[in-house]
Amino acid sequence: MNGNLTRSRWSGYWFILPSAIMLIALIVYPLIYGAYISFFDTNLTNRWDFVGFKYYIEAFSTPEFIGKVYTTLKFTAIVVAGNMVIGTLLAVVLNTKIKGRGFFRAILIFPWLFPEVVVALLWKWLYDPMYGLFNHILLKLHLISEPISWLADPKVALIAVAIACIWKGYPLIMVLASAGLQSIPKELYEAAELDGSNKLQSFRHITLPGLKPVLLVALILETVWWFKHFTIIWLLTAGGPVDTTSVVSIDIYQRAFEDFQFGRAAAFSVLVLFVCLFISFIYRKVMADEQ
Amino acid sequence: MSSRNTKNINRLMIYIVLFVFSMFVIIPVLWMLSTAVKPMTEVFTTPPKWIPNEITWEAFVRMWTDYPFVYYFINSFLVVSVATVISLLFSALAGFGASRFSFRGKGSFLIFLLLTQMFPSIMLLIPFYKIFGTLGIVNTHIGLILTYITFTLPLCSWMLMGYFNSIPKEIDDAAAIDGCGKLRTFIQIVLPLSLPGVVATAIYCFIVGWNEYMFALVLINDEALKTVPVGIGELIGEYKVMWPDLMAASLVATIPLLIVFLFLQKYFISGLTGGSVK
Repeated sequence: MNGNLTRSRWSGYWFILPSAIMLIALIVYPLIYGAYISFFDTNLTNRWDFVGFKYYIEAFSTPEFIGKVYTTLKFTAIVVAGNMVIGTLLAVVLNTKIKGRGFFRAILIFPWLFPEVVVALLWKWLYDPMYGLFNHILLKLHLISEPISWLADPKVALIAVAIACIWKGYPLIMVLASAGLQSIPKELYEAAELDGSNKLQSFRHITLPGLKPVLLVALILETVWWFKHFTIIWLLTAGGPVDTTSVVSIDIYQRAFEDFQFGRAAAFSVLVLFVCLFISFIYRKVMADEQ
Repeated sequence: MSSRNTKNINRLMIYIVLFVFSMFVIIPVLWMLSTAVKPMTEVFTTPPKWIPNEITWEAFVRMWTDYPFVYYFINSFLVVSVATVISLLFSALAGFGASRFSFRGKGSFLIFLLLTQMFPSIMLLIPFYKIFGTLGIVNTHIGLILTYITFTLPLCSWMLMGYFNSIPKEIDDAAAIDGCGKLRTFIQIVLPLSLPGVVATAIYCFIVGWNEYMFALVLINDEALKTVPVGIGELIGEYKVMWPDLMAASLVATIPLLIVFLFLQKYFISGLTGGSVK
């Protein structure tokens, strides 16, 4: 019996071994190596000047990096809030028994199937100041009086980029929230109706609490995902105009692969890791307190 | 009577919400279609025209003849398929190991899988660039395949573990009594039973790889080795943007995902949500 147990214990190791080796070689080692690079002024080939914590101190002592973290947080907050509100709203609406439900669901899930690059290019075309559809529609509805260059105007660029990202991102929340809704027992609503509560009260007291576990997990993942997002922003604005959409991942990319300051870029990406861990830590703390 | 009125108002509100958001989705997609079938002369007009005077498929032809999209598609299919197969293989083994056996360090392994979702992928970009350079696999598909496995392996192991957990362990015990080894139990009994989960996981891998842009942009320089997202992204940098060509290429690049999803959406949505809801 004892021998059998030991053997099954070893079996577990055998099964996870290939993945474990892969993850150590391709994640753990590169992460440590990345942290190592952050202590050097280097071009990754022949120049390796040790600079210690210089880039870390620089990040905290100059307003630039902190400003970019702030921009990233602002962008993340807009996109995640948009995704969560729209996704949940549509899931709840699609959960009612109405005609054409399948049709609307099929349409509303569509943006999820578009590659990020495609979403970026489509919206770039929609936002075109001269020939873009977006300005045309808004002008026709008399919501604006003259064309706006959405991606070139520092005042609106961030929100314009965020709208494209919400277009891409809300269906995932819709799918997750729909699944969450399926797990709420119908009897709860019937009981509430007997007690005379209206739709809004049912939503407040049954739907939202029932969805909470799913939505909290989605919230954590969404926040971290959009915090480190690169593709759509890069293709729409490349961080411009005047850095108003320069989120940390774009900043790191440019420092590394345009300015070839690999050490500085590596240091900033280590800091981004800590910000991401901090965000998930805060959420977890909030979740634990709630329970 | 008044209850019926509120019911009608509710229903109306629901349709308004659905209609508004459907428009938010449909208008950009139709605009994409409309642009893709326009001749260049009708692209830059104010006010924009929905239906061109002349519908042309030129952009779809040009996309294959004027740009190396044939290679981009072959490259993408190659890289993404190989990465998906390897990722599935490894993560199925890991998922089974974590689902069926208890061993020291299992908890840390599982937490580590989740933690990999937290760090910024850009953090891997610089070390990968250097390490792959040293190994001589920058500018090869091998590097890209390894990258995509890195992205998918942790979450796939987690997803598959959830699936294997939902299959009763008594089945394993019965197989063991019949003299079936652990690996054989896994391959011949548990794996076929978890087919929906495996399909969902494969779709997830495929979507992640098919979409990936940043690593492909940095790690591949050779025109003949580039993937579809990078190929499409490059079109925008040109002096005069050929919007019909771009929209045609974008539509075609979306088709593989659309096909995969349409055929397998039942598996995918239940697979994706299974773990998070339970």
